[in-house]
Amino acid sequence: MPIPLKYNLRNLMVRKMTTLATAGGIALVVLVTILLLSLVTGLRQMLVSAGSPNTLIAMRKGATSDVMSFVTRDAVQALRYLPGVAQTAEGEPLVSPEFIKQPLLPTKDGGKEMVLVRGITPVGFLVHDRVRFVAGRAPRPAVREAVVGIAASRRYQGLGLGETLSFDERSWTIVGIFSADGAAFESEVWLDVGDLFKDGTAAGCSGVRFVIPPGTDREALIRRIAEDPRISLAARSEIDYYEEQAEGAKALYLLTMLLAIIMGTGAVFGAMNTMFAAVTHRTAEIGTLRALGFSRRSILTSFVAESVCLSLLGYVLGVVLGIAAVALVNQLMHGVAFQLASFSTAVVTLRVSPEILLLALGLAFLMGIVGGFFPARHAARLRVTEALRRA
Amino acid sequence: MITLQQVSRVYRRGADEVHALEQINLAIPDGTFVALMGPSGSGKSTLLSLIAGLDQPSSGNVAINGQMLSGLSEDQLAAWRAAHVGFVFQFYNLIPVLSAAENVEVPLLLTRLSKAARRQHVETALQIVGLADRQHHRPNQLSGGEQQRVAIARAVVVDPDLLVADEPTGDLDAKNADDILDLLRRLKNEFHKTIVMVTHDPRAERYVDQTFHLDKGVLVKKEE
Ligand SMILES: Nc1ncnc2c1ncn2[C@@H]1O[C@H](COP(=O)(O)OP(=O)(O)O)[C@@H](O)[C@H]1O
Ligand SMILES: [Mg+2]
Repeated sequence: MPIPLKYNLRNLMVRKMTTLATAGGIALVVLVTILLLSLVTGLRQMLVSAGSPNTLIAMRKGATSDVMSFVTRDAVQALRYLPGVAQTAEGEPLVSPEFIKQPLLPTKDGGKEMVLVRGITPVGFLVHDRVRFVAGRAPRPAVREAVVGIAASRRYQGLGLGETLSFDERSWTIVGIFSADGAAFESEVWLDVGDLFKDGTAAGCSGVRFVIPPGTDREALIRRIAEDPRISLAARSEIDYYEEQAEGAKALYLLTMLLAIIMGTGAVFGAMNTMFAAVTHRTAEIGTLRALGFSRRSILTSFVAESVCLSLLGYVLGVVLGIAAVALVNQLMHGVAFQLASFSTAVVTLRVSPEILLLALGLAFLMGIVGGFFPARHAARLRVTEALRRA
Repeated sequence: MITLQQVSRVYRRGADEVHALEQINLAIPDGTFVALMGPSGSGKSTLLSLIAGLDQPSSGNVAINGQMLSGLSEDQLAAWRAAHVGFVFQFYNLIPVLSAAENVEVPLLLTRLSKAARRQHVETALQIVGLADRQHHRPNQLSGGEQQRVAIARAVVVDPDLLVADEPTGDLDAKNADDILDLLRRLKNEFHKTIVMVTHDPRAERYVDQTFHLDKGVLVKKEE
């Protein structure tokens, strides 16, 4: 039978302050990991899940986002009747010309940010099939009605249901709040495209989103759109488009990952230091246990187990702090604002998932094992007679 | 029967050699209580370690009840100690975070005994040393004499044939020292233990059957 765990647990309890300080170091790493990964998860949810494989975006060739793009009305017309574009049961092409504006709007905490305002036509709500109204309804054309994504509604002033949105010397009544599976659309304002122009008609649009039936040869269609002289646009799948938009987030991801690794290394040394001190302090005890017949292996296991208990305590602390921090960021700061490649702001809601908690657990466990191993091996290698002389 | 034949132990300290024991021949019959005496550094603890299977001689043979210790691997030696040797130390060496009963239980964790059986053995051992009522106390709640009695309970709980004690009264006052020596003698008389005790304590002579004197690693005189 191994040396019972209660022996280790009580030793951890006896040196309360050291235990707490060491566990605190591990908790900090767990906290950072949870925060980072819930941010990355939220971001991925926002950008990558925004894309549907059956939706394509057509933009001016060379444009990296629809903000920089312009598509003529003729091109939109040609696209509407292109073979291979999906239609509704009534024969209406699922083609959504969208015009983008980026007015500065006041945030609730007193700042100003560029918000993406998307002018759409009614068919837009069919193309963006993941948009759901959590309150209110879709806007009607030509009566200055707008709908707002839930993240935008939380973050900016005056974007609640029934409130009035003003920019470009005009105003819109907010008649609906929508969600979109956490996608970047939730940080946008949508309104009728005609209302965006003073004379009520658009000369063209920024980009076109359209649906293709499943099983369509996407690449062939994209080539056709590029080569057709009436259209001559660059089309790509929404998924690819959002992955490009997420480029900027990668640097942040790497940076924070690096931070977690540096902090993790610090925490490992902390645990190692604590466990070495414990071994030195308990040398006579180790000698006694060995004299009584416990093997080197059981000494090794016992001290590694003690270190792992320490790191698990740190994990529990870190999870409590991490979940609290995520809730705090989401509730008080209304998520984390992100600048997209298009320079408009998207709000990321941090998301803690079981996978994140499991990964952090693995990390804490690893820190415990690595931090405990060398001191434990030192303890196991002591010669019995020499250890006993240290009484 | 403990027999040592031509036992030497040399410690190497860098280039230096310390001859801690030289050519020791010794026989201790079962059920005797013997004292090992001699000046500090004369090799008493080294000799005790060899008898208890904590260490191996540089040359010569140690046999306990027919078991040759020399050939055993470290794990085999540990298993042999767990079954056959009880240890008593000068500073008791109890585990501070465990209660008296839990300390006594430690050697039983290496046996196949059930929890209930272990509790039974612990109770018996604590009764023998007269501390059944203190089983829930931690070592720091016990006096030196009491701690040593708990340590003796731990030493006898697996019912080994051999007890080794390195200066068991070295840290105790006269009254407690007498109690401990008396307890050890009782273990020999009532439970037929063989006891080898390193001591400086002159009063030990009244309790033991035989005393061996070591000087500079050599047995100098044997008294009946
Ligand atoms: N691990 C060791 N390494 C080197 N020398 C040692 C070691 N253990 C004991 N010695 C030496 O061996 C001699 C005998 O030591 P020891 O058996 O502890 O004597 P005693 O118990 O009689 O005081 C001493 O000179 C001591 O310094
Ligand atoms: Mg000694």
